[in-house]
This record gives sequence, C-alpha cells and structure tokens, in this order.
Amino acid sequence: MNLALYKEMMRVNLRGIMNYAGGSAFYILFMIWLYPGLADNTKALNDLVQAMPEGVGKAFGLNNGFSSAEGFISGEYYGLILVLILAIVCVQMSTQLVAKLVDRGSMAYLLATPTTRSKVAFTQAMVLVTSLFIIMAVTTLSGFAGKAWFLGSGYEFGIARFSQLNLVAFLLFFAIGGFCFLVSCACNDEKKALGISGAVTFGFFTLDILGKISDKLDVLRFFTLFSFYRPGEIVQGTAAWAEVSIWLLMIGLACFTIGIQLFRRRDLPL
Amino acid sequence: MLQVEGLTKQFSNGKGIRDVSFTVNKGEVFGFLGPNGAGKSTTIRHIMGFMRPDRGSVTINGLDAWKGQGQVQRHTGYLPGEISFIDGMTGASFLQFMASMQGVKDTAKREMLIRRLQFDAATPIRKMSKGMKQKVGIVAAFMHSPEVIILDEPSSGLDPLMQKIFTQLVLEEKAAGTTFLMSSHSFQEIERTCDRAAIIKDGSIVAVKNIHELQSMQRKLFEILFETPEDAQRFAASGLIIDSIAGNRVRIAVQGNYNPFTAELAKYPVRSMDIFTQNLEDIFMDYYDREAKVQ
Repeated sequence: MNLALYKEMMRVNLRGIMNYAGGSAFYILFMIWLYPGLADNTKALNDLVQAMPEGVGKAFGLNNGFSSAEGFISGEYYGLILVLILAIVCVQMSTQLVAKLVDRGSMAYLLATPTTRSKVAFTQAMVLVTSLFIIMAVTTLSGFAGKAWFLGSGYEFGIARFSQLNLVAFLLFFAIGGFCFLVSCACNDEKKALGISGAVTFGFFTLDILGKISDKLDVLRFFTLFSFYRPGEIVQGTAAWAEVSIWLLMIGLACFTIGIQLFRRRDLPL
Repeated sequence: MLQVEGLTKQFSNGKGIRDVSFTVNKGEVFGFLGPNGAGKSTTIRHIMGFMRPDRGSVTINGLDAWKGQGQVQRHTGYLPGEISFIDGMTGASFLQFMASMQGVKDTAKREMLIRRLQFDAATPIRKMSKGMKQKVGIVAAFMHSPEVIILDEPSSGLDPLMQKIFTQLVLEEKAAGTTFLMSSHSFQEIERTCDRAAIIKDGSIVAVKNIHELQSMQRKLFEILFETPEDAQRFAASGLIIDSIAGNRVRIAVQGNYNPFTAELAKYPVRSMDIFTQNLEDIFMDYYDREAKVQ
C-alpha cells in the first residue's frame, strides 16, 4: 500500500463517490418516508402484487411484502436501484483506477517512482473497496436515520436484519468490484476493460432476473454472482447470510489477488 | 552505471528489438538515435522495467531493472515520450504528488526548475499546451536529483529558447555527475549534449560511436543560390558531390570534410545559402548503405 497514492486517488475520486453516496442516501430516505403511507394499505398492495404474474413479482422483489419497513426497502431499493448504482461504480471506477492509467500512459509516472507494481495495484484496489464501503456506509446510516425520523416506534424495522442486508450487499459488490478490477488489470485498452467488465456485470444481473422470472430458467442462476444476494430472504430471516458473506468475501479476495498478480507480471505498453 | 545486454523482445506482430547492447558510464550523456518505430521506446520500456525481456537484461547501478522494482527507481528519473498526467490536477499538485511518491521533502530543487523553465505551475494540467506539459514532465524527472535520468524525446514541444535552457540544465546535471540516456529521432537534438550515441534501426543497434565520429559521418545538404546559371554550372562541374542543379540553384551534399567545398565556393559570388534539416536515414545515408551491403 502506498499512502501518497491512496490519498491522491481518494482526493480525485471523492467527489464522484460522494455524489453516488448522496444519491443513494436521498433515495433510501425517500423510500422510508413513503413507507408509512403504504403500510396502512398493506392488504390492498399485497392483493395488487398477487394479481401480477408470479415471475414479475419475484424478479423485482415485490413479493417481499409490505408488512415491515425493511421488507419494503429490501424489495424496492436493495433489489434494483442500489444494485444498479453500485454496479456502475464498480465498472467505472475499476476501469479508471488501472486500465485508464495504462491506456493513457499516466501509469508510467507512478511506476517510475520507488514503489512496486504490487503496491500500486493493491493501493488502487483499496481505493475501489473504500469507495464501495463509503457508499454502503452512508446508505446504511441513512437507513437508520430514516427509521428514527419517519418511522419512530410505530412501524416494524428490524435493525439486525437491515444490517445483515447491508453487509451482504457490500460483500456482493466487493466480489463484483474484484472481478471488474481483475479485468482492468488485464487490459491495455480502457474501452475494452470498460466493455468487458460492464458486459459481465450487467450480464450477471440479467441472468439473475431471468432466473427469477421463470422456474424453467432457474439453471441460469448458477452462472451469476447475484444468486448469492437475496434481499427478500435476508429480511425474512431465511437466508444463510453468514455463509453467503464468506463466499462473497472469498470470491472478492481471490479476484483482487489474481488481478494484482497479473498486473505485476505482465508487459505494460507505457 | 547503465548496462543493456543482449536485450531481445519479439512482439506478436513480428516487430521488436534484437540483441540490443550498450553501456552508459557514470556522468555520461548517452544519445539513443533512431527513426520512429526503430525500437527506441521499446528499449526504454525495458530499461524502466515496464516490460520483461525475452532474453538479455538491463542493469542500473547493479540492480536488474525487471526484478529490482521499487529499488531501481530510487536511482532513476524518467520523462515518458507521451505526456499524460492524472486527471483533475494542476502542475503544482501533480509535482507535489510525485514528490511524495518519490519520498522527497526538499522543494528547493523543484522550485529552481520551475523558475528556470518559466512556467506557471498553478495551471490545471488539462489547460496546458504540449510544451508546458513537457516542462512539468522534465521537472518531475529532475527534481529528486536521481543518479540516472532517462529522457524519451525530451525537447519535443519546447520552443528554441526553452530547448537551450533544457540543454543547459542537462549539462549542469552532467557536471554534477548525473548519467543520462536520451532518445531522439533528430541528430540535432542529441549533438548538443551527448558524449556518445547509439543508432538503432529496425530493432537492432547499427552503431555506438562518440559524437565527433558521428558528426564526421553526418551528411549535410547545402543549397546555394549563385548570381548566374553559368557560375552554377561551373561550380557543379568542379568534382564535388552534387545532389541537384536547377538554373542558378545548386544543391550539394557534404560529408565530414568541409574544406574542398568552402575552397571551391569561395571562388564565386553567392547570393544566398541554406542548410537543409534532414531525417536520420538521410544524414547517415552512407552509414546505413554500408551496413546494408555488409549484410
């Protein structure tokens, strides 16, 4: 880890990260603020969801129910919007942190200083992980703040399960970020890195939705990291969240390690 | 100080460098000459440890350039051929960042260099001209007082005045014992500062000579405008190597010995005279030809 590089990279990227974190915080607060109005009509809403084709409800997390705040948020926010925000952050930042610097040649300056490639790559990986952490931390804290402001004690809100949900979401993107980082380390071309990591990340996401919509396509879910992430099951307490967390952590660590090693050994066109 | 031994790298497109060897002694300014695409940058990438050689090695101060990552760079400064900095920085913040990466606390030398090269370091990098970026790059390569400085096409983008200041900087550093490797595709750029130079062509070194030898091998084209076509004809018939003749205009090639040329020219009134800058192949035409025949 190179502290000077870490500080500089965080400084350069901080504004973007804070924008995403701010957007995420605003959205989750909005959802929580919305909840009391919906909760009073739980039955009607549940009927409405029942009326929809089953696959659609499953795919977009509508079946998580409206009877608890975290159930509602898990479906409406953690099932789609947050996933999209973090997927974009992973793809974009991982490309910027390595492949872009190699493609444009700025990496030459970093490697011309007394540091090693492993240190540079590790530092860039840490910048990515820190960014994801900041966004998730701001989102989680906003969730707690929203509970205190808008829900008080009148509505159900499971703090423990909400925390588990956030942990698993963070680790899911730790793993996806690791994969994008690996791609970025292997590419000389910025656009190629962006294309591959973007295609794979959103491909994973699409496979997961398809798998959820139809039981016939269930097999697809073996090919995507998103299968580990079941917001609805986590808030209902039926997911093996600890086991899933360990898996995601291992996958992420493996990807980051392979990426750093690849970057250390390969020829760079600088 | 810097040894390149049998460096070989083959790329998948068939290009590459073959068996490149040379040694740069301490306190020497070594030129690395070659036309574009001859393998200069590839060699420099190996020296900087960005690429792993197929065969051969680069040693700087006794350390292997590929294996000694993190150590070698303590002794080297580098100016890349293509200038590209990290987005969202000013010249000053980039240099401050580089200094912290280099672990240098003393800012005296950096400020001296900025003053000498006359640029406003507070300008955001994306608003800088090519020459100004080049200056920032030069400061970054010099400011930590490395023992070896590697410069890839250093004076591109600099105006003639700045090229002069840059030449002075190099000569001052050289006097202080710094070793230089400087690549270029123009002989003029090299001859002002270098002691010796290697010429590379199609991935192989064709010659390593001291600069005086290279100067004597150099072929120069003069274009002379005579008063009358008759003078031009007579001058052309005097046995010198004539490149072309048109009216009262004669183009003549001189290599090494200028005396027969000046002695002959002194006999005629001359209206005007130009010296042509040529590319490297033309300057060392005889040399390249002779090599081709030997092969």
